[in-house]
Amino acid sequence: MKNIKIIYLVILGGLLFALGCSKGFLDQKDTSHISQDALFHTPQDGISLVNAIYDGFQHDNQSFVLKSLWYNANYTSQDYFNWGADVSYNTYLFPTDFGSLGAFWNLSYQGIARANSAIPIIAQMRANNVIDQKLADFLTGQTYFLRGVYYYYLACTFGGVPLELKTVTDDGLHPRTTQDSVFMSVASDMTTAASLLPWPQDLAPADLGRATKGAALGYLGSAQMWLKQYSDAVATFNQLIPHYTLLPDYMSIQEYNNQNSAESIFELQFSLPGGATPDWSYNNNEVTWMSSFMWPWETSNFGYTYCNKLLYTSFEPGDKRKAATIVGPGDTLASPGIVAIGGIKAYPQVIAGFNGKLSLPASHFTGTDGKIMNTCGKASDPWLGDQPGQLRSGYYGTKFWRDPNVSGNTPSPADGITHIFGDQDVVMLRLGEILLSKAEAQSKSGDQPGAMATLQLVRDRAWGGTAPTSPYGPDFMQIMLQEYRHELSGEMSLWYDLRRTGLQVDYIKNTFGLTIPAGHDLLPIPASAIATNPTLQQNPNY
Amino acid sequence: MLFIITRSSNRLPFINYLFAMRKKIFLSGIFIFFCLVHSFAQQKTITGKVTNASTGQGIVSATITVSGSKEATQTDQEGKFSISVPSTAQSLVITFVGFETQTVPISNQNEISVSLQLSNSKLNEVVVVGYGTQKRKDLTGAVSSISASQIEKVPVTTLDQAMQGRSPGVQVTNNDGAPGGGVQVQIRGVGSLGNNDPLYVVDGYPISGGINTINPDDIATIDILKDASATAIYGNRASNGVVIITTKRGKKNGVQVSVDANAASQSKPKMYDVLDAKEFGALAYAHAAIDGYTALPNWANADTLHEANWQDAVYQAGLRQNYNVALRGGSEKVQSAFSIGYFDQKGVVLGSDFKRFNLSANLDYDAYKWLKSSSSFKYTRGNSKVPFGTGGQGASAGVGYLSKLPPTLDGGNLLTSEIKDGLGNYGFFNPNNQAVRNWGNGPVYSIETQDQKNLTNYFLGSTSLEATILPGLRVKTNFGVNTNDYSGYYFTPSDTRALDQYGTGTQTTLNFYSQSANNTFEWLWENTIAYTKTFGDHSIDFVGGVSAQENTFRQIGAQGNNLPSDQLRDLSSLPSLSNYYGNQQTISLQSQFGRLNYSFKDRYLVTGTVRRDGSSRFAPGHQYGVFPSGSVAWRAKKESFLENVNAISDLKFRASYGQIGNQFNAGTFQYLAQYSSGPGAANAANNGYPFNKVYQPGLVLAQLPNPNLKWETSDQTDIGVDAAFFNGNLTVTVDYYDKKSRDFLLNIPVPAQTGFTSAFRNVGSIDNSGLEFNVNYGKSTSKDFHYNVGLNVTTVKNKLLSLATGQSYINNLGDLGFSSTGTNNWVVYSRSYVGGPVGEFYGYKSAGIFQSQKEIDELNAIAVNKYGEGSAYQTTSGPAKSAVPGDRKYVDINGDNRITPDDQTSIGSPIPKFYGGLTFDATYKAFDFSVFFYGVSGNKILNYQERTLESFGSSTGSVGIENIGQEYYDNAWTPDNKSERYAKIDANEFNTNTRPSDVYVEDGSYLRLKNLSIGYTIPAASLSKLNITKVRVYFTGQNLFTLTKYTGLDPEIGIPLDVNGNRLPTASGVDVGTYPSSKFYTLGLNVTF
Repeated sequence: MKNIKIIYLVILGGLLFALGCSKGFLDQKDTSHISQDALFHTPQDGISLVNAIYDGFQHDNQSFVLKSLWYNANYTSQDYFNWGADVSYNTYLFPTDFGSLGAFWNLSYQGIARANSAIPIIAQMRANNVIDQKLADFLTGQTYFLRGVYYYYLACTFGGVPLELKTVTDDGLHPRTTQDSVFMSVASDMTTAASLLPWPQDLAPADLGRATKGAALGYLGSAQMWLKQYSDAVATFNQLIPHYTLLPDYMSIQEYNNQNSAESIFELQFSLPGGATPDWSYNNNEVTWMSSFMWPWETSNFGYTYCNKLLYTSFEPGDKRKAATIVGPGDTLASPGIVAIGGIKAYPQVIAGFNGKLSLPASHFTGTDGKIMNTCGKASDPWLGDQPGQLRSGYYGTKFWRDPNVSGNTPSPADGITHIFGDQDVVMLRLGEILLSKAEAQSKSGDQPGAMATLQLVRDRAWGGTAPTSPYGPDFMQIMLQEYRHELSGEMSLWYDLRRTGLQVDYIKNTFGLTIPAGHDLLPIPASAIATNPTLQQNPNY
Repeated sequence: MLFIITRSSNRLPFINYLFAMRKKIFLSGIFIFFCLVHSFAQQKTITGKVTNASTGQGIVSATITVSGSKEATQTDQEGKFSISVPSTAQSLVITFVGFETQTVPISNQNEISVSLQLSNSKLNEVVVVGYGTQKRKDLTGAVSSISASQIEKVPVTTLDQAMQGRSPGVQVTNNDGAPGGGVQVQIRGVGSLGNNDPLYVVDGYPISGGINTINPDDIATIDILKDASATAIYGNRASNGVVIITTKRGKKNGVQVSVDANAASQSKPKMYDVLDAKEFGALAYAHAAIDGYTALPNWANADTLHEANWQDAVYQAGLRQNYNVALRGGSEKVQSAFSIGYFDQKGVVLGSDFKRFNLSANLDYDAYKWLKSSSSFKYTRGNSKVPFGTGGQGASAGVGYLSKLPPTLDGGNLLTSEIKDGLGNYGFFNPNNQAVRNWGNGPVYSIETQDQKNLTNYFLGSTSLEATILPGLRVKTNFGVNTNDYSGYYFTPSDTRALDQYGTGTQTTLNFYSQSANNTFEWLWENTIAYTKTFGDHSIDFVGGVSAQENTFRQIGAQGNNLPSDQLRDLSSLPSLSNYYGNQQTISLQSQFGRLNYSFKDRYLVTGTVRRDGSSRFAPGHQYGVFPSGSVAWRAKKESFLENVNAISDLKFRASYGQIGNQFNAGTFQYLAQYSSGPGAANAANNGYPFNKVYQPGLVLAQLPNPNLKWETSDQTDIGVDAAFFNGNLTVTVDYYDKKSRDFLLNIPVPAQTGFTSAFRNVGSIDNSGLEFNVNYGKSTSKDFHYNVGLNVTTVKNKLLSLATGQSYINNLGDLGFSSTGTNNWVVYSRSYVGGPVGEFYGYKSAGIFQSQKEIDELNAIAVNKYGEGSAYQTTSGPAKSAVPGDRKYVDINGDNRITPDDQTSIGSPIPKFYGGLTFDATYKAFDFSVFFYGVSGNKILNYQERTLESFGSSTGSVGIENIGQEYYDNAWTPDNKSERYAKIDANEFNTNTRPSDVYVEDGSYLRLKNLSIGYTIPAASLSKLNITKVRVYFTGQNLFTLTKYTGLDPEIGIPLDVNGNRLPTASGVDVGTYPSSKFYTLGLNVTF
């Protein structure tokens, strides 16, 4: 018996020893993610890395492109209002915890960080001969361009922001730099990008939508404008202008059938995979809510954006941009793409209203001819949504009312589902804006005749022939303010260009009788950003 | 029909060695046995009775030995005995476990009555500590114990519920009343900003996850290790405390069959008093003109509206049934315990159900004197169904929103305006989000038409072999496995409501099918060596060992819309899959540990413990941590100056200090730089982008690498005293604890400039300190009456000591899914400041209601003066750009003459000042009686439900008009009823009167009669012919009443689940409308053979 015990003890002791010392027992492999070691051995890894930098613009179909960039470019101009909760633009009293500010900030820096991490990896891939020089240049150029774009819109909106040009490896508690420093960085990135990227004509068809030399020069010139380097800006603009075409028909710029047009310089890309249902259940960030978000309740069933009637009445007679920008009671939609589907009378919500299925009376959806209405309301009974007397003006923007596949939040009789989101691209920068910027730059650098000539190009296109002289003169900058307004209204840059002139406070006061509280032409640094980084100084008077 | 219950823990006779010599067991149908004692040629027979000095009742199975001989017997069921005594015998020795041994001299008497005094049983109680047991008197750490008899008094669904109020330092909160629903157990406060669950060890096996698969009926004892001295043996899993569960095992030489059955009816819960259809319709119609929205035409004739009482339709009376049969017993060599249990609870919310089937087998085999094995097997099959959510699951899911559903469906489904009519048609809210939201399908439709299954198969098995190599030297190997299989599906049918409602389209909702399965397999292998030795005044007790544990989790699942038929439950029939996944991960743990107890003269006790733990959760090179603790105790009672002080039965002082860890908040591979291509184009989380309308994949750094990531650490100090007085009738335990936890593994907000809004870091520290009291007093006032009173109270002081560098506060980490009304988004509702308690509510302070325009104008004038034209004291989005009379007025905290987000402040802490339990047990003859109160005091509740009751919805943002509470309706501000509490009813919410503010913060203190039970044990004499040992019938009422000032349905609010399914302490105490607890009435029967 004693021997058995000893044997037992020896065996057990052995086991104890084995168990206590088993090396490698704690080595587990992550089979759900990819480590850096396993990556970047093929060109596609590098391409994917850059693709992901573009991805930030599309976040959840609304946060960035609609509720950050578009809101800030347009609500702030007082030509557009929100019918929902996002009304602080009406008074410029932005709460610092306003949700889309935080989203804007976070998504911008996400894009910047993705760009910062890509630059050395691409260089390493080139050094390792994983990619050739041409691809390396193309990828690096896009990376610098995208970083510059994210910083450009940050500075346009907030003024100076922290400048991160390398992967942040410390705790990230870095303070703001000046607005000028940010635009200088943008200019530097765009210069680098322009030296590496191809012209759009040289882009492979499959790469349609990627950054080009023209896009880099466009943002470079814009940054130079912010930096008041006007003659440099003119030179920069002159490089790119020959590579783009002013479309003869202003209406066609935003048409669904005309995406990535010859006038478009940088355009955010969207797509809807075949078979996907673009309703609420389809929470996809490759689509946008830009379209139905801005329609009247009578067509969309929600209707979050409406126009200031002053915008409608501010167009000069003969300015064809009006019909492409805004629609009011008695107007039909002029977009050829929407006309092709039947216009307003084709929307399921309008049909339901006309058939008496909605809370509003059928007459609300009946035209003066007694048939189903094909105009945006009637003068006697404008479309103000299901809450008459409240807020809405009856005027709606049409820059993004172009996608014929979007039909709003009422099930389409055709397939029983709602088509809320669309896949139409969003033009960020186009030749029309570049020409206006150039005109301002020419004027400010002393070339007044040149400025007038450049301006006339834009106005002539707007009139579809020869435009009359602007009635807003003789002060050239007063003319420019109105041209920015009428050329770019409802697009992605109006407020930024107005603020760039430095005349924005007077403009708002003169046009709308509204005083911008001191400093509130800048949006506040988001409270969430200051909470995590107390070194950030809030903008004055917030 | 209600009947039954109770399980008995009556000890069956323990048979001593003499009995073993000569015994026969007679089994006849029901188990029973008789003892036949060998008789010598003796002079006389002495008969007598042994009684409990405290209760006067007979003691069953007390041993009577003739001193100086091997002659012995045991008392019968009434405490009587009869023994043959040699003429030479001097005395009888009467012994029984837990009582003082008594020696009775023999003279001429033939009959002897003996009354045994309770020994200070607490002192000799065996406490299970990690990798061993100790007598309570020898403990140097803080350990609380709960016995089976305490658990048995309260019929509970899950084991964790049984712990509530039973032990100081252990706060147990039912997060919701759902059948099988979540219970939150916190030992000594919030010790982490993440997971605060203790480690559970079942029959020596440290399990991952909760313990609600264990049948409460199988539990023999629960020992709760609280201080570092006790928990350090579990190293980096123990900083939230360790709960050791020991299941019932078979006793030597005896057998016991017990049958328990009970059934309970659960009353329909309390409901919110909201407007009926008539009031609501009239209000909504009238306000359409005032607030500027279009009313539904039907509302014009409010009298004709059909009533839709949602709460009444969704709540029901519940029924709970519980059956257990157990056979436990054994011989000298083999002891076994088998049990089966069945539990079925129909909850108080329509469609909710929880079923559990348990099998358990424990086997002990003493093969040789030096070698024995011990095994424990548990199997559980569970099926839970909570089709309406468990509540406490975010504000937008489950019962929380019932109170705001408009009480009329007129204008919706063309087929019916009732919730459900006699033909089976369901009513729906009007389509197109007009005036009211369409609210999906409505709760009753949703509950009744969905199909779901959630099956779990759980197995826990462990077996050990222990050899005694030399006297006092034991080696043991223990192997166990733990597996948990889940499989389930969820299906909602397609419907043709579009046709019914819109008169257009063919369907609005496609059917939906989701199926998933996951599996956890874990094994554990531990080898220990133990040595016990006493030499002279010194004794040592050592245990040391090594442990390896590996856990692999696998999951697979997918979902999609549009099965070709509603009959199918088949993923392969879906036209396309979304949210599909399938992956696995393995976590391993490798450890060495040791503990040495040393005692000198049985009065100076020292314990030292250390564990070295290595975990694969951390980066190579950072995997190992060492967790030491030390403690001392002084049994002052053993000193000469106290030994003869009779009033003091025992007195011991304890002190401990140690460091322990918590690795559970570290996921796998959170230290790595991981690149991810993300899901495909159709998923919102994709990282790619389309060019030329063709989606191209992206690749991103998915998380910031952090190779320095490590476990959380707690430094814990405990000073305690255990005292007993008056022969142990009164026992008192007091502990002071101070637990400083640090390096929380937290996905914390980081500057967005890093490219990430959050990253896993080790940050911050929290201090929890307080006092724990446990007082127990038991006494018999007569032969027939015995009572016992127990009180335990714990005080909690919780303080956030630090966060990440530069951070002075952290907002709530959990998103509870609050609905936005106007600009009122309720994104931030708690803010934990450094220096303050964790999870303190955050919002505005209310200064009542603006009563006049003049009051507003005066304030606005100051603001205009300071900030220019257009400024106001309280800016709103409304046409007036300013608050108007009837709006809530907020306090200008920072004194800048206007209300901005900076005027938000801390408005109350969810952490109680103290909590505790009070028990009173009494027996009088055959009756027994028990009450148990549980209470918490000093905590605040953020009553989100009250916000809902005071929110008329919003006409902006498609929220639509919602129902409101009767109290609000009756008292809301109007020019004629100038309420100081309730704002005006206003669909526009321009002033966001329902923003987070102290209006919704209420005192959450309560005292609840958790349990009251009355039992009657049928006198043994009348049962003996049936060979039944004991029959007890009882009645129990739970949650019979609650004293509280809280105005919501139930002040027992834990931590609601956030939208990601986590319970985070920064979201504690928010009433989002949990599945309410209600009264249970249980009738039960317990039969023991």
